[in-house]
Amino acid sequence: MTENVHGLLGAYAVDAVTPEERAAFEEHLPACEECALELGSLLETAATLGAAEAATPPASLRASVMEQVGRTAQLPPVGGDDALVAQAPASRERERDARAPRRRVWPRLAVAAASAIALVSVGIAGGSILADREADLALEKDVMMVASAPDAHSLDLALGAAHLVMSEKMHSVAAMGDDCPTPKDGMEYQLWVVMEDGSKHAGPTFMPDDDGTFMALMDMEMEGAVAIAVTEEPMGGSDQPTSTEVAVVDL
Amino acid sequence: MSAGRERRLRAVPATAATPGAPATGADELADLLVQSGRGDAEAFERLYDRLAGSVHGLALRIVRDPQIAEDVAQEALVEVWRQAARYRPGRGSARAWVLTIAHRRAVDRVRSEQAHADRLMVHGPRHAPDLDDQDAVIDQMHAEWQAARVRQGLEQLTALQREALELTYYKGYTNRQLADSLGIPLGTAKARIRDALIRLRDGWEVTT
Repeated sequence: MTENVHGLLGAYAVDAVTPEERAAFEEHLPACEECALELGSLLETAATLGAAEAATPPASLRASVMEQVGRTAQLPPVGGDDALVAQAPASRERERDARAPRRRVWPRLAVAAASAIALVSVGIAGGSILADREADLALEKDVMMVASAPDAHSLDLALGAAHLVMSEKMHSVAAMGDDCPTPKDGMEYQLWVVMEDGSKHAGPTFMPDDDGTFMALMDMEMEGAVAIAVTEEPMGGSDQPTSTEVAVVDL
Repeated sequence: MSAGRERRLRAVPATAATPGAPATGADELADLLVQSGRGDAEAFERLYDRLAGSVHGLALRIVRDPQIAEDVAQEALVEVWRQAARYRPGRGSARAWVLTIAHRRAVDRVRSEQAHADRLMVHGPRHAPDLDDQDAVIDQMHAEWQAARVRQGLEQLTALQREALELTYYKGYTNRQLADSLGIPLGTAKARIRDALIRLRDGWEVTT
């Protein structure tokens, strides 16, 4: 794994990494003097390329930026020596918004299924590092909404120590767990809804963290659905499963 | 692998003059960024005047659409303000710190647009290689790159290295998408990006 993370150095310097790769590399970085030194010089190199693109910005930009700066609180300095690269959490949050369909708001019930809450806290406790924090929070919030729905119920998922939490009222199913094995190189997991007639509807893809923690959320209509399946698919997911299921949950 | 790494790896003190960085004014930019981090709005305005052109130009190069580029530049510059207290002068130049934020923001935007397009287009290749377009793209790159040093540095790269930077740094491909679109192993793709940057860095070090 360390060797793989080392190998991401150049790709990381030009942002040619997925959020998961970025997180893995940033986790590795404070402990690796070699990478930190070389990364510094490669970021300067990339910045030279970037600066060569300089173009006169529209006049409106300055006023917009200063206006927004005037009402934007600054983050405090971070302790330690790990702040080599700035994070860009707000844009990641927007990215998630663009990818995930807008979810209906479901009133949070004061008394929720205790088992479901316990499951969610597993996912949160296993959470990720700073870079993915805000995007994860958005997902965790959505998952919490499903788990706290009055009709939420959980089912075991044979993918490490994992469960599904389903809510018909929310038209959603959340998958989460720990100790999930890492998919083969170039592959990620994908959720599927299996219908009565045997057809399968593609759901989202997901990757476990280095420690095997994962969380995913899928919108679905329960009517006619007989099972939830998980397969390994090439990065980006597939329209139809291209491999046999690694886990199936009958509904 | 590790032997190759050792040979290519050269420790450069973060405080040393950085390749390609402007010889003068770098300290001043760092000061302005540090002062911005302490809430000094006037320092931030001066920083803006020095770096907004690069931030905006880079965003425009990557996202192409002028309106989106302006949005991205604004987000990046506000993010610079928000995070300024986290900048450490000993770790690198202020310019690189700011442009790293801007680049990441622009690439994130390109990818979220791509993800949106992918959802609409259920079938078909996810990241079709457009190699026919490569020559035109590189020509255009050259036309746009005004700084002679940058041009010279790029000329030192192999065509494959230039292509790797074009698809990643300027188009937002991940290393895996680069490998897939060129039909090369993932390890080759990662190494090619890194080799290209190292050659650029070393070339600029020699000429400056």
